[in-house]
Amino acid sequence: MKYLPLVWAGIWRKRGRAILTLLSIVNAFLIFGLLQGLATGIDNVAKESTAAVMMTTSRVSLIEPLPMGHAAQIRTVPGVVAVTPMVIFTGTYRSPTQYVPAIAIDVDQYLAVYPKVKVSQTARQAMRETRNGALVGEGLAKSYGWKLGDTVPIKSVLWANRDGSTTWPVKIVGLLPKGSGGPAMMVNYAYVDEGRTQAKGTASFFFLKTVDPKKGPQIGAAVDRLFANSPNETRTITARQMAQSQFKQIGDIALVINAIVGAIFFALLFSVGAVMAQSMRERIPELAVLKTLGFTDGGVLALLLSETLVFCLFCAAIGLGLAEIAFPLVKQSIGFEAAAGPILFVGLAFAVALALISGLPPAIRAMRLQIVDALAGR
Amino acid sequence: MVEPLVSVNKVVKRYWRGKQPVEVLHNLDLTIPAGEFVALMGPSGSGKTTLLNLIGGLDKPTQGEVVVGGERIDRLSGGQLAKWRARHVGFVFQFYNLMPTLSAEANVELPLLLTNLSGKQRKANVAAALELVGLTDRRKHKPNELSGGQQQRVAIARAIVADPTLLVCDEPTGDLDRESAEEVLTLLQLLNREQGKTIIMVTHDPKAAEFASRIVQLDKGALAPEAQAA
Repeated sequence: MKYLPLVWAGIWRKRGRAILTLLSIVNAFLIFGLLQGLATGIDNVAKESTAAVMMTTSRVSLIEPLPMGHAAQIRTVPGVVAVTPMVIFTGTYRSPTQYVPAIAIDVDQYLAVYPKVKVSQTARQAMRETRNGALVGEGLAKSYGWKLGDTVPIKSVLWANRDGSTTWPVKIVGLLPKGSGGPAMMVNYAYVDEGRTQAKGTASFFFLKTVDPKKGPQIGAAVDRLFANSPNETRTITARQMAQSQFKQIGDIALVINAIVGAIFFALLFSVGAVMAQSMRERIPELAVLKTLGFTDGGVLALLLSETLVFCLFCAAIGLGLAEIAFPLVKQSIGFEAAAGPILFVGLAFAVALALISGLPPAIRAMRLQIVDALAGR
Repeated sequence: MVEPLVSVNKVVKRYWRGKQPVEVLHNLDLTIPAGEFVALMGPSGSGKTTLLNLIGGLDKPTQGEVVVGGERIDRLSGGQLAKWRARHVGFVFQFYNLMPTLSAEANVELPLLLTNLSGKQRKANVAAALELVGLTDRRKHKPNELSGGQQQRVAIARAIVADPTLLVCDEPTGDLDRESAEEVLTLLQLLNREQGKTIIMVTHDPKAAEFASRIVQLDKGALAPEAQAA
């Protein structure tokens, strides 16, 4: 600890350059934190999709609707405890950039499949009694300034209303607190189905709760057999598999993220290395004086490495901290929460690696400095 | 008879300039008793700084022995030599060579970081050294906020803070005006007379050399006849 003031003073020797380097490292770790947080968030979405819940979609395509009559037949399959239809009701609020991720459901059937979603009895009752009722996550409500009892116009990107517009007024009858486990917005299936001009009497997909997650493949096969060779053949998989396959449609996200992060750190390695080397060259007389005073070669090596280590860790902590702050904001854009978790430790490990790789060559040069030559400016 | 603190015996120092050997010191012998203030003088290229570097343990001779305080320092390894310097030698340079980002007191504390003293003890020793050089009120100032003379006094405080037996000074007044130079030389004289520090000072300036108790003249890598300071 007694060397810390010396280390700290060395870091800020050229304040302007140190600040610029700090900004570039902070920026790199912010991007790293956000991207890795995104990857972990995607992973978490898949993990949180309970294996006991299965999803039945059209075998043809995810967007091909299924008749509502399928629900009653699916309920007859042994091992199926509950079934809920779901219609994608994605829309926007006042401007096209005000994204509203919504689904249309029957609240009782939905909660039978997802009993862990926390909806108060009052809100549940209000949904039953209000045809155009909506349950809204507190985060979404806060971002658009919505309050309980407000009627807000949602412009659907998929469904035209029978009045000829795509605007659907919904009344907020309940707010879902953070951590309730529910989606950002739920509206009544009946309201949407009665109002829409096409695909009436259909669902985008069905979610079913099974008695035993281990029996998922058998139950899924039994469901799909029910509709084999019919005009509406199905594909039933676990919600976890669905989440994973949806993300895979975007591409190998982990590979893309790792490639971006790798490129950033590779570039950073050179820029930080160059700054450290330049700093070391400028400090040759000072380092020679330290050696003159009795600092050993190893001591000088340790001192310079400590400087890069402290600096990189300091910058990484700021960058990762900013990423942590940004995660809740990112949620509004991507629909799920990016997660910090082990990223912080991975990020700090990266910072240590960055410090060692970029700091070692100049530190070794400093270690090998000959005092007499350095003092003489040779 | 006073025990010699420094004994340089048959020392040869050779450098390589490309493939060409350049002998800077030729079979040089010098003895400096403990408590003496010696001025090393001579023309440029006479080997003064080279000799000072050998005595201060910054460099090793090509041949011969350098004994300081009874220890053959020419036989010490780089690491041993570094530790030896920290314990036994204080250095004062022409251009002060203070750490620009550290305050005066942090600069003076540097040699003490290598000791096992507690933070409190280090602070006390730093305060005593700064008081001795008359810069207590400037302890929080950075080098660029001090005059040349004040910076050199900080450098002297740094050199004496670990209580070394030997002070080696390379042109300590070379970058100072006459008034500041006299202040610094008076301070060195005081350290020699009051605290018994052995001081070896390289200088070009005959007026500076007058503050020493003995003048040693070097010429072309060998000792010239000695002269006593007035």
